[in-house]
Amino acid sequence: MENIGKVSHWVFHLGDTRLVLNSTTLVMTWVVIGLVLAFALVATRGRSIVPGPWQQLAELLVQWFRELVRDALGDAYEERYFPLICGMFIFLLLCNWVGVLPGMEEPTKDINTTLGLGVMGFFIAHGTAIKVKGLKQYIKEYFEPMFFLMPLNVVGEVAKVISISFRLFGNIMGGSIIIVVVTHLAYGLVLPPFLYGFFGLFVGTVQAFVFTMLTLVYISVQIR
Amino acid sequence: MEITGADLVRAAAMLGAGIAMGIGAFGPGLGEGIVAGKACEAIGRNPREAGLLTRTMLVGQAVAESTGIYSLVVALLLIFVV
Repeated sequence: MENIGKVSHWVFHLGDTRLVLNSTTLVMTWVVIGLVLAFALVATRGRSIVPGPWQQLAELLVQWFRELVRDALGDAYEERYFPLICGMFIFLLLCNWVGVLPGMEEPTKDINTTLGLGVMGFFIAHGTAIKVKGLKQYIKEYFEPMFFLMPLNVVGEVAKVISISFRLFGNIMGGSIIIVVVTHLAYGLVLPPFLYGFFGLFVGTVQAFVFTMLTLVYISVQIR
Repeated sequence: MEITGADLVRAAAMLGAGIAMGIGAFGPGLGEGIVAGKACEAIGRNPREAGLLTRTMLVGQAVAESTGIYSLVVALLLIFVV
């Protein structure tokens, strides 16, 4: 109960500047990256026409996301954005699931992780828009339908980043706090396994999917 | 035991967190219920598209949930930061 709001830090002093790193988030992010790499290795080792279980799973994921990206962006951009979207989903899925294992914490429980991913999606979407439409047309769209609505359009674009990252962070953080509180009340006897199943596995899957889908939608809005 | 200004601030923060969560959860709950009801209607009318409808429903609900999540973040800030 006492360590709900606590974040463990590594503090470095570089001259006058003080560098604070969230140690748990960093370590757990590297653990998740290791898990993703392990999944990729297991799935691609010993590929054959008749796939094994891991290869089957990976093929299912890849095929499904390829169709999603093709539906949203069209054939021309599918090849370019499919690796980003599929990789983001697998990374976020394992990020949200890793908290179910004892002693592990979700990297997405930290606002810095989700905000970083949200800002990455923002820059990718707007870079795509500038590349596809040209800088002139891109800037012109901010002044539509009327020129004095420009501040509203800019705020709307920034609010997308805030909403997408706070949604993931709030869901995972809220779920973990509810698990801690209920475990404290019920002494870990009955409810927590179901809570881990619901908040860790179900909500984690849905939120990872929503985050990827919204990034895809933001890209496709900028292209069309 | 004397009640000082800091205690009042703490009490107001706790009360504010409760109010923020209570009122903030009202809207998303209503909206998500409506979305689920409409999805059920649509699946009843067209059961073959159940997979697509469920997927779209979940994404829509997760988006509608964001105002509730904002109030959760505000409540957490009030409890742990103030």
